[in-house]
Amino acid sequence: MRAKLFNLVNGITLIGVGAVLLDFFFTGRLDQYLHPQFRPWTLVAGVIFCVVGIVYAAAKTNARCCIDGEECVHQNANSPVRAVVAFFVLFVPLAAGVALSKDSYDQHAVLNRGFVQDITKLASRSGSPARTQNDQVIPPEALGADMDERASEPLPQDTPSSQPGPDAAANGATGQANPAVPSPDDGSSQYLPKAADGNVALEVTDLLYAESEDSLRKMFADKTIEVIGQYLPGSDAKQFKLVRMFIVCCAADARPLAVPVEVSGPMTVTEMGWVKVVGKATFTQKGDRSHVVLQADKVESTDPPAEAMLY
Amino acid sequence: MQAKYALMSWFTFTWQNFLFSFLALAFEGLPFVLVGSLISGAIAAFVPSKIITGILPKNGLLATLASGLLGLCFPVCECGIVPVVRRLINKGLPVSCGVTFMLASPIVNPIVAFSTFAAFRGQAPWLNMWTRLVLGYFVAVVAGLTVRQFKPESILRKGAVKIPARKRLAFSISPLPDAAMNGFEATFPEKLIAAVRMACDDFIDTAIYFMIGAAVAATFNTAVDQQIILPLALEPTLSTVSMMAIALVLTLCSTSDAFIAATFVSFPIFARMAFMVFGPMFDLKLFFLYSVLFKKRFVIGLGIGLFVLIGLICSRLLIYLYAGQAL
Repeated sequence: MRAKLFNLVNGITLIGVGAVLLDFFFTGRLDQYLHPQFRPWTLVAGVIFCVVGIVYAAAKTNARCCIDGEECVHQNANSPVRAVVAFFVLFVPLAAGVALSKDSYDQHAVLNRGFVQDITKLASRSGSPARTQNDQVIPPEALGADMDERASEPLPQDTPSSQPGPDAAANGATGQANPAVPSPDDGSSQYLPKAADGNVALEVTDLLYAESEDSLRKMFADKTIEVIGQYLPGSDAKQFKLVRMFIVCCAADARPLAVPVEVSGPMTVTEMGWVKVVGKATFTQKGDRSHVVLQADKVESTDPPAEAMLY
Repeated sequence: MQAKYALMSWFTFTWQNFLFSFLALAFEGLPFVLVGSLISGAIAAFVPSKIITGILPKNGLLATLASGLLGLCFPVCECGIVPVVRRLINKGLPVSCGVTFMLASPIVNPIVAFSTFAAFRGQAPWLNMWTRLVLGYFVAVVAGLTVRQFKPESILRKGAVKIPARKRLAFSISPLPDAAMNGFEATFPEKLIAAVRMACDDFIDTAIYFMIGAAVAATFNTAVDQQIILPLALEPTLSTVSMMAIALVLTLCSTSDAFIAATFVSFPIFARMAFMVFGPMFDLKLFFLYSVLFKKRFVIGLGIGLFVLIGLICSRLLIYLYAGQAL
C-alpha cells in the first residue's frame, strides 16, 4: 500500500513537471526563457512527462525492475524519502516559477553580469543576426523586432545594411571631422527598416555593431532612429543605459548589451522598464574604435517587444 | 519576490533573478535528461547484457580501448552506469574495461554529443563537441589501462562483486547467463511498461541532482558579481582548477551539463572543457556511487588522478587548440 502511494507521488511529480512545461509553452512565457530552437523540445518533453507519469503511477508496483532483482539499479525506487524529495525538488520549484517568476531579470543581474564590451566577440548561433568581423552582410532577419513590418522593407542580402546601425543624424555635419562618423551613405539606407512613424527602427545590437562597422555608421548617418530597450539609470539624471539581453541558448546565458543614452532632463521611468527612445546616434573615436551614444529627442514607456531577448 | 539579499558587495541575491535563470536552465536541460533516461530504460529492458560483452575484443588492450566506445551504442549517463558496470564485472568483465566504460560512457555517447553541440551553438560547436568526446575517451582509456596494473581485489570493495579467481586477471569476456540483463521473461507490453518505469526512476534519480545543480548555477550566475571571479578566469591553471572544482560541487548530469558550462562565459573555453570532462567522471554524487563498487582509497585516488590529468591536458594543451577561437 505504501509502495503504491509513493508510486503515485512519483507519477504526480512527473505529470506536474510536464504540466509546468506545457503551461509555459502554451502561454507563450517560454519565449522569454529559451532560444526558439529549444522551444519545441519543451513541448515534446511536456507531453512525454505527462504520459510516462500516468503509466508510472498506474503500473503495478510489484513489477520486477531492471536487470536482476537482487541488483536493481533503482533500489530506492519505492523509498518514501526519495518520492518526497523528488516532489519538492522537481515539481515544487517549477510550480513556484509558474506563480512567482516575472520572466525577466532585474537590474542586479544585469550589473552583476557586466556589459558586453565588444559585440563582435559575442558568441552567437549560426544563422542568427549576430555577425563576425569578417561578415560584410547583416541578414534582414536581424532587423529590429520592434519595427513596423508594414512600413519597412526587407533589406537585400547583399547590402551592408540589413542590420540597423547608427544613424547619427546629429553628426551629419560633424561627420566629416570625426573619423568615427562617415559621410552620408549612397542611398542604400532606403532599405533600412522603418517604424510606424517613419523613423528608422533599430535594435541595440545594430548600434553596437556599427561601432566597428564603417558601412553601418555611414548608412545610419543623419537618420532619426527609434530603439526599444530596458531603462537602466546612469550616474546622473541626464544619461541612462538602454539595455537588451542577448542569449545563445537560454536566459541563463544572457549577456547584457547596452547603449548609452543622453537626455535633456530627468525622467520618470522604472528601473528595467521598457522604453522607446527616438533620437540620433553619435559616434566618437576612442583609440582604434568608435563608441556610440544615443542623443534622445524623446523617451517614452512602451510595451515589451514580442521577443524580449535578442539572439 | 522583491526581497533582495546583499550579503556583501559582490553578492546580491533576488528571487526574480534566481527564478528566471533557474527556470531557463530547467526548461532547457530537463528534456535532455528525459531523453537520456528513456534510452537508458529501453536498453535496460530490451538489450541483453551479452550483447554488450559480446562485442568486446578478446585481447585485453583492445577490449579496454573498445570499452571506451561502448557508450556510443549504449548511452548511459553517470547516474545509471555504476550498477551496470558492477553487474558486468560480476559476470566476468575485466575491471579495466569496466572502469573505462564507466568513465567514458557518460561522455562518449550520442546524447551528450548532441547536447554539447546544441549548448555551444555559436561557440565552435563541432570543435567543442569533438574535443569533449576525444578527451573523455582518452582520459577514460588512460584510467582503464592504469587500473590494469592493479589486482582487482585491491580495487574492488569487498563483497561488491563475485569474480571467480581464475578470471580476476584475465581479459576474456564471459557471456552473461540467459535473461540476466533482460531480467525477466515478459511480453513486449510488459517490457515496455518496465522500460518506462526504469526510465522514470532514472529520470528522478538524475533530475534531482540536475535541479540542485541548476539552482547553484542560477545563484552563481545572477547573484555573484562576475567581476569578483574574473581573476580566477584570467589565469589558465587557476581557471581550469576552478571550473573542475565547480563541477565537483554541482554534480550535474552529463546530458545537460554543457548547457551550464556554456553559461560560464567569463571562463576560457578550455577551462569549461575541463568542467565538462571532469564533471561526468567524478563529482560528489559519483564519489558515493563509486564507493558502492570500489574501495574508498581507490575512489579518492581515482578522483585525484582524474583531476590532475584533465587539469594538465586542458590548461597546458587545449589552450593551444583553442588559440584564435575567440571563445
